[in-house]
Amino acid sequence: MSFAANVAAGNVPPQNRHDVTLDQIVQEITTTDDAKVLNDKLRHLSPRESRDTILSGALTGGQDPLSVLDPERNTIGCLYILAARLHATPAQAPSMRVVEEFCSRFTPEHARLAPERVTQLTKGIIRLAESYGKQKHALGALRDLVTRYPPDLSYLTTVHTQFISHCVATRHFSIALPVLSVPIVNIDTNLSELTYNDNLIYHYAGGIALGALKMWREAEEFFEICVSAPAQVPAAIQMEALKKLTLVQLILYGKTTSLPKYTNQALGRLFRQTPYFRLADMYPRPQPDLQAFVVKETEVFNRDQNSGLVQQVLDCAPRWLIRKATQTYLTLGMSDIAKETGNPNVNENRSIVLSMIDNGEINGTLSEDDTVTFSETTTNITKNDIDKALKNAQEQSSLLLRLERELYASREYLVKVLKHKDDGNWAQDDDSVMGMPHLGGSNAWADDSMFG
Amino acid sequence: MDVDLIDETEGHAFVIQKSAGKRPQVLPIDDAHPFDLEAYISGYSGRAAVDRLTFIIAVCPSLAPQAFQLAITQMQSLRDTFLYNKTVEAYNNAQKQNEELPPHTDVAIIEQGWSENITAKNNAERTKLEVELKTYSSNMIKESIRMGHRDLGLFYRSIGEYSTSLKHYTKSREFCTTSQHILDMTLSILDLLMEQRNFAHIPTYVYKGEAALEAITGSRVAAANSGNLASKPAAKEKAVAERDRIQAKLDLALAMSYLGQGQYEKAAQAFLKVGPLSGLDGWAGVLIAPGDIAIYGTLCALATYSRAQIQAQLLENDNFGVYIEQEPYVRELIDAYMSSRFKTVLEILERYSTRHFIDIVLSQHVPFLMNSIREHALVLYFQPFASINLERMAAAFGWTSEYLEEQVVALIKKGSIEARVDRQNKVLKARTTDQRAALFQRALKSGSDMQSTNRKLLLRMRLQQADLVVKAPRNAG
Repeated sequence: MSFAANVAAGNVPPQNRHDVTLDQIVQEITTTDDAKVLNDKLRHLSPRESRDTILSGALTGGQDPLSVLDPERNTIGCLYILAARLHATPAQAPSMRVVEEFCSRFTPEHARLAPERVTQLTKGIIRLAESYGKQKHALGALRDLVTRYPPDLSYLTTVHTQFISHCVATRHFSIALPVLSVPIVNIDTNLSELTYNDNLIYHYAGGIALGALKMWREAEEFFEICVSAPAQVPAAIQMEALKKLTLVQLILYGKTTSLPKYTNQALGRLFRQTPYFRLADMYPRPQPDLQAFVVKETEVFNRDQNSGLVQQVLDCAPRWLIRKATQTYLTLGMSDIAKETGNPNVNENRSIVLSMIDNGEINGTLSEDDTVTFSETTTNITKNDIDKALKNAQEQSSLLLRLERELYASREYLVKVLKHKDDGNWAQDDDSVMGMPHLGGSNAWADDSMFG
Repeated sequence: MDVDLIDETEGHAFVIQKSAGKRPQVLPIDDAHPFDLEAYISGYSGRAAVDRLTFIIAVCPSLAPQAFQLAITQMQSLRDTFLYNKTVEAYNNAQKQNEELPPHTDVAIIEQGWSENITAKNNAERTKLEVELKTYSSNMIKESIRMGHRDLGLFYRSIGEYSTSLKHYTKSREFCTTSQHILDMTLSILDLLMEQRNFAHIPTYVYKGEAALEAITGSRVAAANSGNLASKPAAKEKAVAERDRIQAKLDLALAMSYLGQGQYEKAAQAFLKVGPLSGLDGWAGVLIAPGDIAIYGTLCALATYSRAQIQAQLLENDNFGVYIEQEPYVRELIDAYMSSRFKTVLEILERYSTRHFIDIVLSQHVPFLMNSIREHALVLYFQPFASINLERMAAAFGWTSEYLEEQVVALIKKGSIEARVDRQNKVLKARTTDQRAALFQRALKSGSDMQSTNRKLLLRMRLQQADLVVKAPRNAG
């Protein structure tokens, strides 16, 4: 009697449970062609407690079931066995090589049928690497998993979160870049068992990785997404993200910008009581002032593990002061600059100015007698820039149009509209008002771009 | 008085933050800063005069003995015995700062037994009025009760118990039967608040008064229209004239309130609206000198108005011209400002700075107003130039070029002047912006901003659709 029949019968007599052996399961795996059917069978494999024990055992001949199965063809089977074995006793744990092979060869469409196994597998991989004491060994497998599992990288999955957190934990930031460079715009809870924490942690950890790589602009966006994530009450991690966001903005713009309107209000209020707010408030000032403030609050910055970022914020202060001075002055002597930055060391100031000119942060020249002449900032916008911008705009508008259509076709929307219709006769008008201008709007966009 | 002291310190903190200017520790009285105390104080009488004198004792020790003497003379005609203590206290404080001052008993002595006398009289009157009110109340005659409260309000005001006075006045509101009564009540309260310099409360009562005034005038005009033909225009005119008269008081109260609260532009507007002097009987010369209206109004206008506004609303304002005549230097100041002789403007302001600082109402606003006028002047001066030598500009203002540079830099940082300083060559150059490039840049930036905002909003929408919203832990309730 096959175990599938047992499941179908529903009421399994206890003694029959142990009738299901791994051999039978492997048999089933290799013979069932339809991945969906197989997944249903394995998921309802009885009983829950002993299922993992069975799956993590060996075949009767003492053979490793994984050596029999092919990751590409038997994705579901391998996934179940791997997930089970990674959570079983260390002795049964598969070797990292096997795991890596699976990750690089599995069939994504099949794996998506069992998202909870994928989450389990991800956690198992990290645990496996930890048990070896070589955490970074997990990165290769995780990267393959994260890139191959979702339909594309813009879908958030639990693997994303685990992968990025692990990258940050092992300080391998650049390996995360290909993943981080694709912004998350899709959330599908059928694809992966997400919780709000996955989103928060992914963007928080991503921000840290990008910050460590000094990609401030991208880091800012990640932190901002974390901070402004929908929340009924602010999460602690959002507060931490806001602290880091503030520091990143100080480095990037020399000041903070206001948070999106939809950010949880309480977060802003709480933040006002932190030294970060005061730091942002007084920034930029001559370094000695800032230094004094930072020393006073060292404890807080250290406790939040932000002292590195704070130090970078401090290092940027003279640059922002000089940038500010260019708004006011046409020429400045080195002594004047020293007065602005509060740093009497002429050589240091000169090298800062030179590096700023090199980086294009300021537009100016340094003459022999240590006079800096700032010229008006000129921006050259080429035809290519414009074309690129127009192309972007067109893509954006077609994306929005597509989304709008999807929305109109969506169940929730139609249900609401119908409900409205029942409520009153004016619903028809309302509908047309809502539908038409948007379409008109997209045409207007196209017109604009032609005009431009 | 306590309230005023607090206001003053707050005002100072505010002013120091906002500007570099600050009231000098000692106000100089000399040829360069003329000030005639007798002439000044003759513009006020009663309690307002004593308050002003007490203030002068505090801020200007060199005038203290003279002011003390005048204060003592003034207060003997009043009924508030506490005033004496306060004045003596102010004088003693001044004496601590300036040891050369003679002790207050040498300067002026109050009549023997004055204090006891007044206290006894006050007590008698209080008892009398309170008994009266009680009788009225038990008889339940509305009109009498109203008058009882009114009399008590007046009485408490005269002995300096403002809050009790205000209580009685507001209480009388319940017993008002006509708009005229309401108007009388609001005017009494405004009287009180003006004397007390409680500016924050004024607007409420001004609005109440205006409503009542409107009702009265309306009914009077209606009555005039329905009356016999011959007296029609005359009666109408009388009603309108009456309204204008009271409106002038309400406007002035509002103006003082704005000034007191540091809303200078509104204050300027309100001061310039104040009607002819004839409407201010009972106030002008008692609570406020006509010259004060000119000074307050002009300073506020210079500090906040554009040149065109000054021309239209100040110079072409006949009513206000009358007030300006009271203080000839104000006319000089306006003329100098309008003809861009800024050096003269600053000189006049400096010359009369003691006069301004010594004014109990104006004092805390002087630094801000001066600063603001100075900034306006700098901005106006630079307007026609593409570039100007700092030395030349400094000469036009009578400053050193370092000081000028400091001021100009502050203004550039504030964004009031669109220019940059060439420090090496000491030239101020107007900034030229390439509008076309700026436009392109802005368009590109808003495009990319829009895209990233869209992306973030989209994600947010998806998160909400999937209900991935941060929620409070269940056990935390």
